[in-house]
Amino acid sequence: MDDDDAIARSLAGDLDAYEVLVARYSAVAHRTAALLGAGDETEDVVQEAFVKAFRHLAGFRRDSAFRPWLLRIVANETHNLTRSRGRRADLSVRLGREREPYEPEEPEEAAVAAEDRSRLLEAVRRLPERERETVVCRYFLQLSEAETASVLGVRLGTVKSRTFRGLKRLREEVGRELLP
Amino acid sequence: MSSSPDRSADVPDELESELLALGESLRTPVPPPADVARAVRARLEGEPSPRVPSRWARPSRRRIAAVVAVFLAVLLGATPQGRAAVESVLRFAGVEIHVGGPGPLPTGVPAPLPGERRVTLDEARRAVRFTVAVPSALGEPADVRVADGGRVVTLLWPGIRLDEFDGTLSVVFRKEMGEPWPEEISSPHGWWISRPHGVSYVPADSGALQELGVAGPTLIWQNGTTGMRLEGTDQQEALRIARSVR
Repeated sequence: MDDDDAIARSLAGDLDAYEVLVARYSAVAHRTAALLGAGDETEDVVQEAFVKAFRHLAGFRRDSAFRPWLLRIVANETHNLTRSRGRRADLSVRLGREREPYEPEEPEEAAVAAEDRSRLLEAVRRLPERERETVVCRYFLQLSEAETASVLGVRLGTVKSRTFRGLKRLREEVGRELLP
Repeated sequence: MSSSPDRSADVPDELESELLALGESLRTPVPPPADVARAVRARLEGEPSPRVPSRWARPSRRRIAAVVAVFLAVLLGATPQGRAAVESVLRFAGVEIHVGGPGPLPTGVPAPLPGERRVTLDEARRAVRFTVAVPSALGEPADVRVADGGRVVTLLWPGIRLDEFDGTLSVVFRKEMGEPWPEEISSPHGWWISRPHGVSYVPADSGALQELGVAGPTLIWQNGTTGMRLEGTDQQEALRIARSVR
């Protein structure tokens, strides 16, 4: 069943078909919510987004792609959550290597690379929110510029300029830290 | 600069490559998709299908927000057909009204909304995503509360309570009552509930109802995308207050 079939059947109230869509997009929805700052509440945010997506499926334009439409709802839900808690949407993720605190010492080279990586993550965290969201969508979620524009609800030109500004800031920050 | 975003889609520069690699190294927990699908399904069981009746359908392009509002209105329009059932449901502006069921048992003390706290009007305006409207017929509220992390703002005057909430996407309040069916009001478009009825709060996250107690006669209407629920006056006064909202 492709997306369009599943959507057509869901619109007719077929929950089996909607389960197919949910299962198909669950992973990317969770990753989007987590990287946009839903933190511990990622699962709740995603569930709520899927429920809302179903309720508003009649408003979905069938000639466009489902993924960015859904991820926009996920992004909005994440926003609602972080705004309502009065906290800054934080990039509450961990680098893979931080998950095992007792792992044996790494070779020096790997340790340096890991350190660079965590500095870069810190720099992304410190970006102004709009630039951070755009960088997260473009590079962490690997969305196209057009998809990023749909997901964040902004124009393509805005995505380009925020990406540009974000990268520039990162280059300055990371460059300053890494250069002797 | 070599990393112009226009060209970034073609050949990522060093920083962009590092960002891509960093993204791939980030761990985000993902529950089993089938579990998520089941959980979502459980919440959707028994909901009407999302198909919009044709006279309302044809959502104007790129106006999903408008469609959302219309969709709620359509649910409303669709309810009389559902009245043969023992319990009929009317959903409007973030309020779901169940008519004809047994209704809840009256509980003694009205319970507060979850996470309710006292704030100033300015703090409330900063804490929520919708526009907090103050009816000029009532003037400055005597007391202001924000609940559930900014999902609901409650304005209080002596004997009068006005709840404002995001009335476009989800159900915020659930009301249960016997017949008669609430009276439809045209200006502003809304519903007047003339009798005491049970009110529960529907949290955004879990959907598990929290009983708030019994409410008196209430007017429900929508101000832009904000759901409004006014309690504590007769119908004429409620309409005067509602019409004074800018």
